[in-house]
Amino acid sequence: MRTLVWVLVVGLVALVGIALSQMGALDPLRNGALTVASPLERGLRAVASPAADFLDNATDRQDLEEENRLLRQQIEELTAEIANLKEAGFTAADLAELAEVEESRPDDEFLVTRVIARDPSNLKERLAIDHGSSDGIREGMVVMSEGGSLVGVVSKVLDDFAWVTLITDPNSNVNAMVLESRAQGVVTGSLHDGLSLDLIPQDAEVEPGDTVATSALGGNFPQALLIGQVAAVRGEPQDLFKQAEVEPAASLSGLENVLVLTSFVATRLVSP
Amino acid sequence: MRYALFVPLILFVALAQVATAPYFPLLGVTANPLLVLLMCWAMVRGPRETMVLIPVAGIFKDLITTDPVGASVLALLPIVPLAAIRERWPTESEFLPTLVVVAAASVSYHVLYMLVLTVVGDGPPWLQSPIRVILPAALFNALITPILYLPVRWATTLSEMVRPSIGVPG
Repeated sequence: MRTLVWVLVVGLVALVGIALSQMGALDPLRNGALTVASPLERGLRAVASPAADFLDNATDRQDLEEENRLLRQQIEELTAEIANLKEAGFTAADLAELAEVEESRPDDEFLVTRVIARDPSNLKERLAIDHGSSDGIREGMVVMSEGGSLVGVVSKVLDDFAWVTLITDPNSNVNAMVLESRAQGVVTGSLHDGLSLDLIPQDAEVEPGDTVATSALGGNFPQALLIGQVAAVRGEPQDLFKQAEVEPAASLSGLENVLVLTSFVATRLVSP
Repeated sequence: MRYALFVPLILFVALAQVATAPYFPLLGVTANPLLVLLMCWAMVRGPRETMVLIPVAGIFKDLITTDPVGASVLALLPIVPLAAIRERWPTESEFLPTLVVVAAASVSYHVLYMLVLTVVGDGPPWLQSPIRVILPAALFNALITPILYLPVRWATTLSEMVRPSIGVPG
């Protein structure tokens, strides 16, 4: 009987808490809790990170790690540059489109933020950054890696912190295109299965190694922001659409700093 | 008085889980040491103390993650009934039933958690979740059970040994 009463009372309190947090009434409490917890979290992460690396690679780990990190960054930067060049290489029709993009983004402004936590849930791919609404961060802002490729979108903003939903989150959808063939599709996250480019028209030519970048469709992302490269293409001739596996350009599991694109305002944020 | 020790301990475990669990994935999922510790605690010491610790730990964890505040409390609720059921059927070995209820609590945790996320419009893909998340997580949590069960067992045995000697006048 006592157990039943406890379950009912605590369950009810939890439901009230869920309702209040959905209304944003507990955001100041969240901000306070993160303010207290984030230095401790940073300390724990500083201990956990080398331990995890040690388990991953016991020999020559520091040299290899540093080299790997530098190479990854170089690859990402070069691929982003190639994506930009490919985009810039298109002819007059595309130049007009680019001019429009440039007009809508006269000067890109970024805010460099530090990653302070990752959501430990097995069902979400999110990370916390150390800047919030007091620094000008708003929901829907685009987040990029230091190498310039797409990381995700700001999904929750507190006074001094914000949560970013990564492109690998199961609920993430990004309108994208394959730069080589201009084929359009939607990049979606999944549960521990990386990224996939869905809804590619059956007649579009997509090959492994092709570059995938954001399309301006929908207005939530700037155009030609590097997402990754096609790793494999799936689908039968009778299928309505093709699907491609996409290898993200940014190393999403090892992010330490990210850039929030403060100058780009997603269409959905503009009031009617 | 004992809660002055238990509450900071459980808050630290919640914080450590949030900060470090993503670094140590296995089978594509992360472990839930908080759930395992609370389940071991309820099995070894009875469910009474966990009735206090579950709301405290759950709310704190939700405050420092993206979960709606109360989601983890709801997901951790089945620990108490599971431990209460177990109390009615005592067995010789305590460890094996603990492994079983940790796996059961892990499954119920994820189902309730997914239900809350779905209700608030942040639902995960239900069809993929059993194979990709729920079962691997139950296995992973069962695997780390000895690491948390043994300290709880030893600490309980130690406190039972110390307690009578305190009451005996010199």
